[in-house]
Amino acid sequence: MARLSGTGRLADDLYLMAHDDRTGKPLLQPRAAGLGLAGALLAELVLAGRIEVEPGGIAIADRNPPQDALAGSVLGLLLREHQHSPREWLVFLARTAASDVAGRLEHSGYLVRTPARTWRSQRWVPVDPDCAFAPMARVQATLRASRPVTAAQASLAGLAVACGLGARLWPYAPPTARRWLQEVLAQLDPGLREVIAQTQAAVDSALLAHRV
Amino acid sequence: MSRAQAARSKPGSVSWELARDRLGVPAVLFFVLAGVAPLTVAAGVIPTAYQTTGLTGIPAAFLAIALILALFAVGYVAMTRWITNSGAFYAFVSQGLGRVAGVAAALVALLAYTCLQVGLYGAFGPNAASEAAAHLRVHAPWWAWALGAWAVITVLGLLRVDITGRVLGVLLSAEITVILAETIAGLARPAGGHLSFATLSPAGLTSAGWGTFGVLAVVAVLGFVGFEQAPVLAEEARHPRRTIPVATYLSVAMIAIVYAGAAWAMAAHNGDSQVVAAASQQGPALLFGLGASGWLAQAAQVLFLTSLFAAALAFHNCVWRYMYALGRENVLPAALGRTGGNNIPKAASLTQSATGLAVIVAYAATGQDPMTRLFFWLGTTGGFGIMILLALTAVAVVAFFGRDPRGENPWRRAVAPALAALVLAGIVVLAVANYHTLLGVPVGDPAAWALPGSYAVAAAIGLGWGLVLKARRPQVYAAIGLGAHAVTGQLTPATGQPPR
Repeated sequence: MARLSGTGRLADDLYLMAHDDRTGKPLLQPRAAGLGLAGALLAELVLAGRIEVEPGGIAIADRNPPQDALAGSVLGLLLREHQHSPREWLVFLARTAASDVAGRLEHSGYLVRTPARTWRSQRWVPVDPDCAFAPMARVQATLRASRPVTAAQASLAGLAVACGLGARLWPYAPPTARRWLQEVLAQLDPGLREVIAQTQAAVDSALLAHRV
Repeated sequence: MSRAQAARSKPGSVSWELARDRLGVPAVLFFVLAGVAPLTVAAGVIPTAYQTTGLTGIPAAFLAIALILALFAVGYVAMTRWITNSGAFYAFVSQGLGRVAGVAAALVALLAYTCLQVGLYGAFGPNAASEAAAHLRVHAPWWAWALGAWAVITVLGLLRVDITGRVLGVLLSAEITVILAETIAGLARPAGGHLSFATLSPAGLTSAGWGTFGVLAVVAVLGFVGFEQAPVLAEEARHPRRTIPVATYLSVAMIAIVYAGAAWAMAAHNGDSQVVAAASQQGPALLFGLGASGWLAQAAQVLFLTSLFAAALAFHNCVWRYMYALGRENVLPAALGRTGGNNIPKAASLTQSATGLAVIVAYAATGQDPMTRLFFWLGTTGGFGIMILLALTAVAVVAFFGRDPRGENPWRRAVAPALAALVLAGIVVLAVANYHTLLGVPVGDPAAWALPGSYAVAAAIGLGWGLVLKARRPQVYAAIGLGAHAVTGQLTPATGQPPR
């Protein structure tokens, strides 16, 4: 059942922000969106206290599976092969992140699947455009900085900017918003900071290597 | 087998999936050659070089420069393993010679690649105009066609529409086929019935003194520009240690053979003493007319236009990527490092387009000959800039490994790059001293010092700005050369394994 307050999960909010609220069409290049959502999935696990992200690798802090099935499967992957760097995990998860998160949103009632046609692949369309736009509105409000922000809100804003949604956020924010966001991110838990920075670096690298 | 190793080798495991997505030698080689745009050089640069410089040692120059670049590549690819953002010379210079020098190198590179991009309009314009006049009975000045191409490239750049790999592949194969066909046809019917190898001989490199070699070297380097792009894909390559060096050496070898062959055929077919006059009369048709087949010549002319267009788009992408990387590091205004909707770096793309427009309009307004004054002059000036960067990078390689050998053998880390640096620096000096020959102008012509001098200006601005950044914005200064990784402030992306 779609609600304006959302599912409360970072990757879900980021997915809705990265797609048009009416048609479901992507607003980002596939690789950039995938990397952003991969970062969001890792950030969810950090916020849930399951993993710790460092520049050299990802350490498991708590093996108990989280409530959400997708987060649980990501944690399971991390448990099985823990020798990879955050960057490699981002690239790996980015391959399927968009469809995985879309599936999760479909399950929660925010998206509905439209079948594939000859000229396009299957697409998920928002059930309620207002609920689909809500995360974007929330982040825009965050950037107006009227209240102290939670780690989750700051992380969502940081990840949105990292994967290229800045163009949709900065015009609606005060001129000091960019610097304010930098300061807020600097105060975040180092693991979250690392995830956001690595996501940004991955998106930029993909752009520079002609793969975005 | 340990658990970790077993996990790695299973299909569906993370390593396997990551490797699957990565690029092998063919993909990297293809990417490099597509940026080199063979017909642009074979039909554009070589005949114009014969005409403008009056020198006939061009075939030998390609072979000689190939050897020098292979020597350079030894240290270049060795250092690639240790730095990120390795598609950019300034990253090498930053890590090797310090960040202030890195900023200078970045501006020099930006100027060089911009010259290369904008110069292409000077070849596209007149050749499109003559083809249209001959076949479509449309008569428009060269700059109308140049502006048309400019507009299309601007739009494609903003929409992030790149020529697809498949189309580029077809074009590239067709271009190389045509060049080889023309080469063979030309060599089969040499002037006077007797095939002369004189233009391939090293003696031709110094036919008018040592300065000749400097001039010829710039022309030859222009042909090879693009070979240095292989490391751009280093992070995407399956086995970077092997893939990047192999692709680099292969591309140098292939480029050398194709261009030296074409230039040799042109001289052999027309006669060594006649080729300069023939080039003045025929221009690009010097290549097209090598075969007796009108069909081949026509195909070559069309492919020449597509090659120029593809090269202009490729260099447009190269320039805005440079600006984007520098914008992300805050070395250039941060606005250049931002993307708009759909991850499109609008500011960088538009800035490059604006530069192109300004230059085309300037040349059109002053009525200068586009093929020699825009295409050849700016093109060779761009090639000259690349040569400066090659020399600087070679020195940077020596300095980088001089501080810490990192397990590379002395040949790779010291001997080869030092030799390359010496030779390249020598060539730069010779080229500057003989720039008037390169441009085909009398000694003392202002262009002969203004064009190379622009690099001195760019470098001076870069050094100044670098010092300002060091003093006033240390955080930005610390991230110079890191490109995409400026945001993580790391030298290498940590892989959890020893560096490759």
